[in-house]
Amino acid sequence: MLGTIFSVFGRSPFALLQSHMEKVSGCVHLLNDLFLALENHDYQELERVANLIGTLEHEADRTKNDIRNHLPKSLFLPIDHSQLLEILATQDKIADKAGNIAVLITLKHIDLLPSFKAEFCEFLSKNISTFDSALLIIKEMHELLESSFGGVEAEKVCAMVDIVSEKEQEVDILQRFLLKKLYQVENEMPYTTFHLWQNICESVAAISNLSEMLALRIRVTLELK
Amino acid sequence: MAWNIGANDVANAMGTSVGSGALTLRQAVIIAAILEFSGAFFFGSHVSETIQKGIVDSTIFKDPIIIVYGMLAALLSAGAWLQIASYYGWPVSTTHSIVGAVIGFGAVIGGVDAIYWENVTFIATSWVISPLFGGILAFGIFNLLRHRVFYAEDPVAAAKKITPSLVFGVVFVLSLIMLYKGLTNIDLDLNFFQSTLISTFFGLVGYFISILCLRRITYQHKVDTGTQQVEYAIVEKIFGYLQIMSACLMAFAHGANDVANAIGPLAAAIDILLTGTISENATIPTWVLGLGGVGIVIGLATWGWRVIETIGKKITELTPTRGFSAEFGAAATILVASRLGLPISTTHTLVGAVIGVGLARGIEALDLRTTRHIIISWMFTVPAGAVLSIILFYIIHYIFSGTFEVTAVKGPIDHITALLSFMLPS
Repeated sequence: MLGTIFSVFGRSPFALLQSHMEKVSGCVHLLNDLFLALENHDYQELERVANLIGTLEHEADRTKNDIRNHLPKSLFLPIDHSQLLEILATQDKIADKAGNIAVLITLKHIDLLPSFKAEFCEFLSKNISTFDSALLIIKEMHELLESSFGGVEAEKVCAMVDIVSEKEQEVDILQRFLLKKLYQVENEMPYTTFHLWQNICESVAAISNLSEMLALRIRVTLELK
Repeated sequence: MAWNIGANDVANAMGTSVGSGALTLRQAVIIAAILEFSGAFFFGSHVSETIQKGIVDSTIFKDPIIIVYGMLAALLSAGAWLQIASYYGWPVSTTHSIVGAVIGFGAVIGGVDAIYWENVTFIATSWVISPLFGGILAFGIFNLLRHRVFYAEDPVAAAKKITPSLVFGVVFVLSLIMLYKGLTNIDLDLNFFQSTLISTFFGLVGYFISILCLRRITYQHKVDTGTQQVEYAIVEKIFGYLQIMSACLMAFAHGANDVANAIGPLAAAIDILLTGTISENATIPTWVLGLGGVGIVIGLATWGWRVIETIGKKITELTPTRGFSAEFGAAATILVASRLGLPISTTHTLVGAVIGVGLARGIEALDLRTTRHIIISWMFTVPAGAVLSIILFYIIHYIFSGTFEVTAVKGPIDHITALLSFMLPS
């Protein structure tokens, strides 16, 4: 009886969801440092940043498991459990991709050749920008909860989702240009390096794809007219 | 018993207001003290009468002193059961405990005939209906707030628009419930038309006062979309004041319904000791109501404030808009039940109201295991209270008359004939 009214409130996963996204964001933004080190041929720095990304990714995993472990069936949330878990899973995949890129880049001594450097840098920054737009949506979660996922706030988030989609399309176009350039200069590097660059480009592109998926999954929770 | 209510139960009613920040601890305790007493004193007679004479038929007993022992046993057993339950952290209701205890004593000592089973059925039904009703009401109110305020282009303007109407509604409903044959203590007898008229008047007073207060908020809505956070904060601030009103209502309603748990049995005992029987026209003496009210306040002042503080610190998820919806839904339900003389569980009703708000997507996370625990506690509390009260009755009877033989009730033959006449309506 002592605190019966207290026991009706459960542990909210939303704050943890946001903190998980912060960690994912840390991983993604470190990619800038990663490729900067590559540009400067600073291979020690490269290793250091790559390890750092790996560590951050583990931390994100821990937060993810924490959320999953504290989501009993009896906990009633303003959105479906499955929707929440899907959002969480998508966020986690982004961190995984960042971790992938960090690993790939250290497998072999490669160079950011001046022939495709400009295209690649633009490509990378556009991907990260797409992610940032999705990050803003997650940050908006608190207002969404306050307004019960509807009304003007929901429309605002909808517009933010559209921005993410637009950016993702632009990334697709940039990716095509980059790959064309890569094929043009394929003779400047051994095949294995070429293959590695292809993998890296795929993983980087995945970041914007997953960001769009994340945005769309949040859109599903909204109550729109 | 009253102390126990003030110490443990009041916190469940007031904790949500402290947790949402609408009231400081000090304000909550002061409001609780004043309004719990008022509710008990001015409005508590209806439910108290039910417990005093609505459950056990005193004419069945050859020697009325048995009832005195029984009521005493009921009070002790309810108090004991509550102590046990709070030690283990079970969500047991004060109301269910005392009703179970009274039924237990009545049924076993007085026989099946001694209980007004119709009334008991009404009461039991109200135990199930009150959380549901509180939930539905709270759901409705929060839905209204959702669509009118949170979904609006300009939430602050919408909040300012809807608040006077809400104030009118709250004041009107409260006045009506109280005035229409409600305040029997001060011999105020109004018919329906008069009560409605006066209630409308009070409602309008509240309406205009709130408009004046809202003038102080001069926020200009900009079309720029970056201002959601600020606007919602202002809306919550407005509803903080509304929640103060609903907190007052909760305290008043809680006092009205729960004081009966302590003084209903007491009033029955007093009546018997003074007149030798409980007549049909027995009412609750005003001083007894006052005693109950004072007991609650003392419990609140000595221990209850600590519990309110603890609960207030822990419940951080409830913002004023949610708190107001839940508290108003619960308080209105409890007041109606009090007016009808039905002893219900205020805590369970509030839980129902909070869940109602959650169903309207208002709360970040609800632990529905609590509902399961509450339903389980329903099944145990009445039998436990009954068993304890029977045991204690025999002990008390022994202490006062030196024997375990309860001779003052009708013998087995009488019981059997009574039972037969109960089963064969002819």
